[in-house]
Amino acid sequence: MSIIFKDVHRYFGSKKVLTGVNMSVQPGEKLFVIGTSGVGKSVTIKHIIGLLKPTSGEVSVDGVRVDKVSEKELFTIRRKVAMVFQASALFDSLSLLENVMLPIRKHLKLKDAEVRKKAMALLDEVGMLKHAGLYPSEIGDGMRKRVAIARALSLDPAYVLFDEPTTGLDPVSARRVDSLISQLATERNAGCIIVSHDLVSIFSTATKIAMVYKGIIYKEGPIEDFHSSTDPVIRQFLSGSSSGPMETPGF
Amino acid sequence: MYNLIAKIGEGALNLCHETGGLLHLLFMVIKSLFPPRFDPGEFLRNLYKMGVKSVPIIILTAFFTGGIMVIQASVFVKRFGATSLVGWGAGYAVFREVGPILLGLMFSGRVGSNNTAELGTMVVTEQIDGLKALGIDPMQYLIVPRVLSMIIMLFLLTIIGDVIAIVGAALFGILIADVSFAAFWTSFSQNVHVADVVHGLIKAGVFGFIVSLTSCYAGMTVRGGAVGVGRAVNNAVVTAALGIVISDYFLTYSLS
Repeated sequence: MSIIFKDVHRYFGSKKVLTGVNMSVQPGEKLFVIGTSGVGKSVTIKHIIGLLKPTSGEVSVDGVRVDKVSEKELFTIRRKVAMVFQASALFDSLSLLENVMLPIRKHLKLKDAEVRKKAMALLDEVGMLKHAGLYPSEIGDGMRKRVAIARALSLDPAYVLFDEPTTGLDPVSARRVDSLISQLATERNAGCIIVSHDLVSIFSTATKIAMVYKGIIYKEGPIEDFHSSTDPVIRQFLSGSSSGPMETPGF
Repeated sequence: MYNLIAKIGEGALNLCHETGGLLHLLFMVIKSLFPPRFDPGEFLRNLYKMGVKSVPIIILTAFFTGGIMVIQASVFVKRFGATSLVGWGAGYAVFREVGPILLGLMFSGRVGSNNTAELGTMVVTEQIDGLKALGIDPMQYLIVPRVLSMIIMLFLLTIIGDVIAIVGAALFGILIADVSFAAFWTSFSQNVHVADVVHGLIKAGVFGFIVSLTSCYAGMTVRGGAVGVGRAVNNAVVTAALGIVISDYFLTYSLS
């Protein structure tokens, strides 16, 4: 039971973004994927639910090769692996409650009242129940993120992917999102993969870190390995210094 | 010379790419219809949003279009005393040509462009990826309900528009061209046939299909943020207008 990347390459035309990614995540783990902007972190996690196909290599979820299955079979995997997008990706035309109800209604054979009840319980879990009738455009980024998390949990996924969940949030909202992620891993035993630059979030929440650099997983390991690392690239990233050996796309 | 050839080649490749994309979308829509696999809630929501909310603008457009036709004709009607031709002329032109083409263009401007902008925004804000990530097929949830709604609603709106345009023509005929209602009605009922109505409604169905397919395709293929959405809306409206006019030519030719 795990998500596994084996030598994943991904090219966009002549641009080689991933050149041999290897990593894995187990249920209950909180793997933070870190790295500079534009290095391919979001590209990496989009492979897990088949939003992108690798140019070569293997991506599997609980033994099923995501890169080999048809679009129809992908929908089965997507019920098992939820994703919270960077911009939340809530549907503008639906209220917050309807956003959470949508996947439940689509996939679980429940009566309308039960769908509503389950959605409201999820909104309550993320502290958004009193705003259930509002639309995404009527609330702030932090609240949208929380609703997106509620929606992602609606099908009781075994794994949840987060694309920069705390980016653009104030510190208080960011820490609330962190604690939601921790709850997910401990209470639901969900495997979480979190793309992030937020060092506070990373060091307070992660059980494991994978650093993407130059198209590969430069280092993967427990949080202590990063703390104690003497590697100049890792040191530079963690200290946020502008001078050092690290190459940054666009600079 | 080399540049010219390269540009022609690039244009031809782009045309093939876009045509292929449209045909692929059409194939996917048809595939989702046999057996029907689309969201009924979204279908009803779109019928309302695209059809019912378009009724006021369609009524206004049709009413004044009927009136304009009579105003233009009134000079000759008065000069030659051709009052017995007004009802026929208005009915024939509205049912066969002016009704479907004008309402089709109006529908494209109001509904098609809105549809492209909405889908395009959903693409750039990752809402389409969000749907996929939830295991929901965007084709069945978003595209098929919209395509069906647009075809059905343009067809129905054309019926409403035709009736209102005739009412407008009759009213302006009485007020401007001194044509009595009895004369208008006699001319209309004796010379306008069911075939004229059917002719126009076939066109309305085809125009609805063109607007729906081009607007959905433009929306789903948006690239490049807000600028891309604007460009897509522009492309959708222009492509739909061209499609309507060109298909109108072939339909008029083949149905007459």
